[in-house]
Amino acid sequence: MSKVTTGKGGHMSKVTRIGRRMSRREFLGVASAGAGVVFLGACGGGQGGGGESYRLTLIVGVTGDEFYTTMECGAEAAAKELGVDLNVQGPEEFSAAEQTPILNAAIQANPDAILIAPTDVTAMVAPIQSAVNQDITVVLVDTTIKKEELALAGISSDNVKGGMLAGEALAKQIGEKGKVMVISVKPGISTTDQRQQGFEEAIKKYPNIEYLGTEYCNDDPTQAASITTSTLRSNPDLKGIFGANLFSGQGAGTGLQQAGKEEEVSVVAFDASPTQVEDLRRGRLDALIAQHPNDIGDKGVRIAVDYLKTDKEPASKQITTGFTTVTRENLDKPEVKEYLYKAEC
Amino acid sequence: MHENESGGGPEGDGPVLRVRGIDKSFGALQALKGVDLEVRGREVVALIGDNGAGKSTLINVLTGVLEPDSGEIVFEGERVEFTSPHDARERGIETVYQDLAVAPQLDAVANIFLGRERRRTGLLGRLGVLDQQRMRRETDEQLEELHVRIPDPTKPLSTFSGGQRQGAAVARAVMWASKIVIMDEPTAALGVAQAGMVLDLVRRVRETGIPVVFISHNMPQVFDVADRVVVLRLGEVVAELDPEKASTEDAVAAMTGSLRGEESA
Amino acid sequence: MADNKTGQGESRARRRLAIPGFGSAFIFVILAGLVVAFSIMEGTAFLSAENFVTIAEDGSELLLLAVGVTFVIITAGIDLSVGSILVLSSVIAAQTMVALSGTPEQVHNFQFPNQGVGIPVGIAAGLLVGLACGLINGLLVTKLKLTPFIVTLGTLGIFLGTAEILSGGTNVPYVPTAVQTSIGTRNLLGFLPVPIAIGLVVVILAMLTLHLTQFGRYTYAIGSNADAARRVGIDVERHLLKVYTLSGFLAGLAGIIDLARFNTASVGAHTLDNLAAISAVVIGGTSLFGGIGTIVGSVVGTFIPAVLRNGFVIGGVQPFWQEVAIGIVLILAVFIDQRRRSAEERM
Repeated sequence: MSKVTTGKGGHMSKVTRIGRRMSRREFLGVASAGAGVVFLGACGGGQGGGGESYRLTLIVGVTGDEFYTTMECGAEAAAKELGVDLNVQGPEEFSAAEQTPILNAAIQANPDAILIAPTDVTAMVAPIQSAVNQDITVVLVDTTIKKEELALAGISSDNVKGGMLAGEALAKQIGEKGKVMVISVKPGISTTDQRQQGFEEAIKKYPNIEYLGTEYCNDDPTQAASITTSTLRSNPDLKGIFGANLFSGQGAGTGLQQAGKEEEVSVVAFDASPTQVEDLRRGRLDALIAQHPNDIGDKGVRIAVDYLKTDKEPASKQITTGFTTVTRENLDKPEVKEYLYKAEC
Repeated sequence: MHENESGGGPEGDGPVLRVRGIDKSFGALQALKGVDLEVRGREVVALIGDNGAGKSTLINVLTGVLEPDSGEIVFEGERVEFTSPHDARERGIETVYQDLAVAPQLDAVANIFLGRERRRTGLLGRLGVLDQQRMRRETDEQLEELHVRIPDPTKPLSTFSGGQRQGAAVARAVMWASKIVIMDEPTAALGVAQAGMVLDLVRRVRETGIPVVFISHNMPQVFDVADRVVVLRLGEVVAELDPEKASTEDAVAAMTGSLRGEESA
Repeated sequence: MADNKTGQGESRARRRLAIPGFGSAFIFVILAGLVVAFSIMEGTAFLSAENFVTIAEDGSELLLLAVGVTFVIITAGIDLSVGSILVLSSVIAAQTMVALSGTPEQVHNFQFPNQGVGIPVGIAAGLLVGLACGLINGLLVTKLKLTPFIVTLGTLGIFLGTAEILSGGTNVPYVPTAVQTSIGTRNLLGFLPVPIAIGLVVVILAMLTLHLTQFGRYTYAIGSNADAARRVGIDVERHLLKVYTLSGFLAGLAGIIDLARFNTASVGAHTLDNLAAISAVVIGGTSLFGGIGTIVGSVVGTFIPAVLRNGFVIGGVQPFWQEVAIGIVLILAVFIDQRRRSAEERM
């Protein structure tokens, strides 16, 4: 009988071969991972020539939000004009727990200035303090923090005024009478709280308008839509909704469409993202209060660079930017069009 | 654990385990009908029968997985009731199930001591800290004594072949059994060489005085190692054969029903 | 059963980078590779003690979640509710602190005369909530016999909803700042942030428990073959109850740390923490099928995405690329680890 090697012998050598091949694969895996990292770093990176030009980092509130994207565009244009380096970062979720690691990493890169839209008025104080402690100039854009004196300056829309504009626009839309409500993000965000405040002040002036109150959608358009549909069920005679930020307004529009009530209910939304503009065209929304995030980004960069160059603090530490009320009628006029938000620069 | 006894099982000459008149039904299906069975010290009993004859059900009754509808179980002269496998194990009855009941991601030492881990003494032990060195040592000793070769007791069983895993499962039962070892198809998935080793192990267990009951479909192996062959058919014991005197054809005939009554010519 | 022991020994040495209790060393290699790559590209901006301490501190909450979830996943279960437990614990802890540290007027003026009582009781309350939530998960899994995925998907909503009801959807204001100064931003011995110290202690205890004790062994056994464990007499249900309770407790502890770091309970945050924790555990080499895993692996798995994000932000990489990179690393790490494992098993 021929000496047949047992299964064990055959198994052993097969396993050994796989073992050796695996080590080569492992090495390739590490090498490609490392190469990928280096590649991404190189092409996505903004670590410019260094030397003379200042380095700025902009940290937005949440990525993927066209308000912040437009702000980014304005900031980048200003940076280019002034010849400074701009690195834009932001968390995936509008929360301090997500934004803090990004801010901390940005601090490590030791930029000359950080522009930041803080995601919580209390929670971001400590991390921003640590940036200031390291001699990094901080400019607050859009939102603010409790200890705002930490920053060189704060640039935002006058959100109370914006809310008032929204209130008046909505009142006009519904013929100054009927039930209205506000859909906001969550309490504690300076900007949306102020808009709510302004709106409430404005509609107080109209005796025939009944204010149902404010609901919070947590910056989730799906939640805003369901708030809308459920409010309609308990208040079928609802006449107007004010969406206090981009996602709130978007969601309200969707909710109305789902309930088939686009014609009967007027919506005034804050912000003018491409989706909102579409909704406006199609009649799901009736007016948009567009902020000027482009200006916020632009001014933020200029103020920071001015200070870095001249060491002189700005004349005013609180800078407000304006609004544009957008309706179906004026939507395509050039002076309105330039303030519509961009999805990319 | 298993100590190398040269004495017999219980005191006196009674059987280690005896069941009488065991009935077990599942709904309308009667799986066991008036089964009588004895297991005496120092013997190997093979339980054979066609599919559906009731072999696994009987094993489950003997090991406490199932409770019989009627009948009695007498263990070492004492009437007992097994309400769970735990009860049977407490009495020193260890089982190797057909699906092995091992944790493949754990190594042989861990599997062998599963549920019976040795802890360190003192405070550490009360916190649950395991005495891994002691377990490793005891495993090595016991495997040595039983002539069982597991390639590496510290590697996960999943890295072993099916046969080696079976070896570990059998070793576990044998190491802990103090009264009876029961095996359900212990050589089913094994090659010739490995099956031979399991059968050798069965013989060694018998030598220590502990009886072994095993289910098998493999006639040559059954006749090779068993002292008695009990044939089940449709839930009843239809024959008890002496493998020295009967033939495999007789066994098959009893299994399939072409022979009735006891044949021990 | 006799085997060619020498032949096997050779290939074993060649194949295995594993160290007992440390699992596959491959993910260390990836983490080290990333550190080296970023250090080369970014110099001392990345490669500094300060940066590493920051990374560790920012990752301290996720680390606790990952440790807890490691135990659960080793039992072949899963816990999707950890982020919600974190939030609920921090809300209840915060509200307790606010309620007990002074009268409403005092507290609204940022005076906290009774914070010596308020803060410890608040912390205890938060930890108890974590424990209770974990217990609820465990009971639902063992008594209702529903799959852990479904149970914890449900409790994810229940716990978060409860937190939102209790807090009105707001971040809890007026939390005594002493919480932040004495825990959140405090450094022990002048250099070790308290959150990191807590994380270290938890990691060490978890390692000891998982690899040296009966509790750890039963965790592996149940994940490997729960039925076998039952048959040898292990009380599987009772053990699972303990495992889920542990996961909940650690999530509660993470909630306390979150409260301490930010001086508020952040209700709208942590929505993706459960996925981040599970990713960390899986990157670390723990198998979703149960029976395999290490704490050290989960630690490394927590910090691979953290290092990636940190390195990319410092390097100025656009945020969306960061997510792509993290996803790729996750898949790569799991793929390679699985291949090695099946090579080991294929005999």
